[in-house]
Amino acid sequence: MAQNRISYAQLLETNNMMQTCSDETYWLCVTRTVQESKLFPVPAYMMLSYLNAFYRYPSLLKKIESRMSAEEIGDRARNMGMKIQNPSMGWALPGFYLLGREWLINMGLLKPTDAIEDVVYVMDFWKRFQLSWHRNDGHITNKEYGHRAQVLPESRVQVFHADMYDCVEGDELHEAAQTFMASASQYGFLISCESRISLHNSGPYKLADDREMIVRDFMDLSESDFPWLDDVAAGVPHNNITVTMAVKDCHFYLVDDWGSFEAQPEFKADKLVGVGLYTSDNLSDGYMPLGMESREALIAKFNELNAQVKDATTQLWKRIAAWSRDQMIDAGAITYFAIIKDLAHVAGVYDVDDWMKIDERAERFRPLLNDEFSRDALGELVGLVSHPSQQVMEYTMAMHSNKPVRMYSNIPYSVLAGEPYTASSGPVYPGITYLPEKKDAYTTTRGRMTLAEYNKASREFTPPTLTDKYRHLCDTWVKYNAGSELADEMYKLEQARSRNLKGKGSSLKRADVEKLRG
Amino acid sequence: MAKLYVDNDKFGYQSASPTVEAFHAAIKDIVRRKLDDCGGDWDSFVFDKSYDLITAEDMASVEQMLLDAGHKFDWSAAISPREKPEIYKPAAGVSDEDMATFSFEHPEAKTADADADGRELRGIGDNVAQYPQNCSGTARYIRSPDQVLKYLNEGVPADTIAIIDDSGGTLTAPILEHFKGVICAGGSTRSHLGILTREYGVPCLMNAKISGIRQGDIVEIEVTAKAKTAEAYQTGVEMTANVWRLNKA
Repeated sequence: MAQNRISYAQLLETNNMMQTCSDETYWLCVTRTVQESKLFPVPAYMMLSYLNAFYRYPSLLKKIESRMSAEEIGDRARNMGMKIQNPSMGWALPGFYLLGREWLINMGLLKPTDAIEDVVYVMDFWKRFQLSWHRNDGHITNKEYGHRAQVLPESRVQVFHADMYDCVEGDELHEAAQTFMASASQYGFLISCESRISLHNSGPYKLADDREMIVRDFMDLSESDFPWLDDVAAGVPHNNITVTMAVKDCHFYLVDDWGSFEAQPEFKADKLVGVGLYTSDNLSDGYMPLGMESREALIAKFNELNAQVKDATTQLWKRIAAWSRDQMIDAGAITYFAIIKDLAHVAGVYDVDDWMKIDERAERFRPLLNDEFSRDALGELVGLVSHPSQQVMEYTMAMHSNKPVRMYSNIPYSVLAGEPYTASSGPVYPGITYLPEKKDAYTTTRGRMTLAEYNKASREFTPPTLTDKYRHLCDTWVKYNAGSELADEMYKLEQARSRNLKGKGSSLKRADVEKLRG
Repeated sequence: MAKLYVDNDKFGYQSASPTVEAFHAAIKDIVRRKLDDCGGDWDSFVFDKSYDLITAEDMASVEQMLLDAGHKFDWSAAISPREKPEIYKPAAGVSDEDMATFSFEHPEAKTADADADGRELRGIGDNVAQYPQNCSGTARYIRSPDQVLKYLNEGVPADTIAIIDDSGGTLTAPILEHFKGVICAGGSTRSHLGILTREYGVPCLMNAKISGIRQGDIVEIEVTAKAKTAEAYQTGVEMTANVWRLNKA
C-alpha cells in the first residue's frame, strides 16, 4: 500500500475532471454514432488502444515533462496545426486512458482505488495543457465554451484573415480547394484506420457580420511517424496542412472536442467564400504559407496536393487491403493510442518503441478481441454505459441521458480515510508489433530527417513568438499595449510571411485588416 | 475462492451483452483463481504478479469457452471471417455468386406499390445533403475489399448507386467519388461516409432501411429532402428521404 500522497483537493478536482469527460464523451458518442468499417476491425483496435493508453500514458507523459511542461507544450500547440489539438488533447488523452481503466475494472483486473497517482497525474497533465492551449478563449475544453474553440491569438487570426483569397462556388479556386479537402479528408480516414483523428476543425472566428472563419487541419499525411505510410506517402510533401476557410451567411454554432462542426444554415460548398493554405510543425516558425503568393499559385498548389494525396490514398488502400487482421488491429490501436505522440515530438523525446508498439501488458488481451465481443464491449463502454462499474445510485440523472450511470468510475475518497490503494501501473514494458519496423525517415517543415536529427532539432528550437520575451504577452496585454515597440515587434514576427500584413505591427483592428485585403 | 473488489457492487449486476458478460465472468474467475494461487494479496498482484500470471493463453481460453458451447461470433470487418471462418457466422452477400439473390432486408423498411410515376417505394434513409434534383442510377452492392479492388482496377460502372452497409470512409476510399449516389444501411449523416459524400458532392442517404433492392435494379433516392441534422438525431425528430425502385434488373 502506498502512503497518502494525494490530497482531498486533488481528488475532488480529479473526479470533477473525469466526470466532465464522462458527460462529454457520452454526448460525442451518441451524436456521432458508432464508428464501423468493413475494412478495419475498428472496435477491436479501439479496445486494445485503451489498454495501451492505460498502461503507458502515465510513464510517457512523465518522460515528456522531464523536458518540457504540459503548459509549455500547450503554448507551442497554439502556434501550429500539429496533432495535439482537440481530438487528441481535448478528448482522447483523458478518454482513452480512462476507458482502459474502466474496462479493466469490469474484468476484475483493477479496483477504482488502483493506480490513483497515475490517474491524478494524467488528469492534471491534461488540465495544464488544455488551459494553456485554450488560454485565449479562457476555457478548458470546447465543451466548456459551448462547443467553440478560439485558441489563436489576434496576431495569427489577423494574418489568416488578411491573406485569404476570396472564392465563389464554381470558380477555379473554390473547386480546387473543395476537391483537395474532400481528398485529404478521405486520405485522413484511411491513414487513421477509419478514425477521424487526422482531421481537425477549430474556431469559428468572426471575420465580419456575415462571415466566419474555420481553421481546418489535416495532420500526419506524409512519411513520418506511422510505419504504414513509409514509401506510399513519400510523395506527399507536407506532414501537416492547414486550410483556412471563410464562410458567408453560415454560423458555426458547434465545434466539438472531436474537431467536428455543425452550422446553421447547413455548411455546403456555396457558403465557402475564402481560403488560405499553410503547413506547420514544431520545427516551423508558426504557420508557413503554401502557394499564398498569388491566387494562381494557390490554385496550382491545391491541385498539386490533391494529386499527391489521391495517389497516396490508392497506394495506401492497396497496402492495407493486403494486411492481416493483426496488422490492421495494430495500426488502428497505434493510431488511437499514439494520438498524443506529438507531445513527445515537441519535447524532443520521441521514441518509436514508446509510441508505435503495443505494450506486452495490453497485448495479453488481444485473443479476446473478436469482432462481436469488441463491438459489444465498446458499445457498452461508451454508448449504452451499461457495464456494472458504470451503474450508480438509482436517483442519478446523468447529463444527456438522465440515466443512473457514470462512464468513468470516480476514485473513492475512502483512500484518504485509510482504504488501501495502489499508486501506479508501473513503467513502460516492452512492446510488440505485427507491422514492419518503422523506416528512419521523418517529413518535417525542414525536410526529411532521421529521428535523432528530428529530436535534436526539437530540443534546440523555440518558435520566436514563444521565446521568453514574448510567451506571456497575451491578448489582454496587447489590448492595453498595442502600438508599443514590444507589441509591434511581436506582431511583426507573426506577420513576417504575410502577403498583406508584413511589417504592419499591432495596432490594426479587424476592419483595418479587411481593408488591407484589397 | 478470492473475492474481487467488484464482486460487491450495489448497483452494477452484469453487462448488457451476453457475450460480454460471459467473457467478463470467465476472466474474473481466472483472476480470482490466480489471486488465490499467489496468496491473495491484491496490492502485490495487480501491477506486478498479474502481469505474468494473467496471460494471452488465459484470454484465448475465454473465447474458446464460447466456441465450445457452439457459439459463432458476428463479424464486422471482412478480414475477420476470411482469416478465421471457423469462429464467425457465415459471410453472405459479399461474393459475385451471392449477388444474384442478395438484398438488404430491414424489418422497418417502408415499402409501397408503384405510384403514378411508376416509382415503387423500397425504403427510407437520412439525407446527408440537399440537392436540387433527386438522383437515380443502377444499384450495386459493395460489401468487401475484393469488390472495391475490382472497381479500382476496372473502373466503377457509370451511374452506380452504391449500396453499402458500412458507414465508414475507408472501404470505398479509392472509388467513392466515382459513385453517382450512395445508399448506406448504417450510420448517420455524421458518419464518415456521410461526411465524405457531402465533401465530394455525391448524393447519399445514410441509416437506410430498405428491402428488396437487388443488384442491377434502377433506383432513385430522394436527395431533394432536407438534410438530417445532429439536433434531429439528438431530439429524435424523424427526417427521412425515400428510396424508390424504378425498374427491376
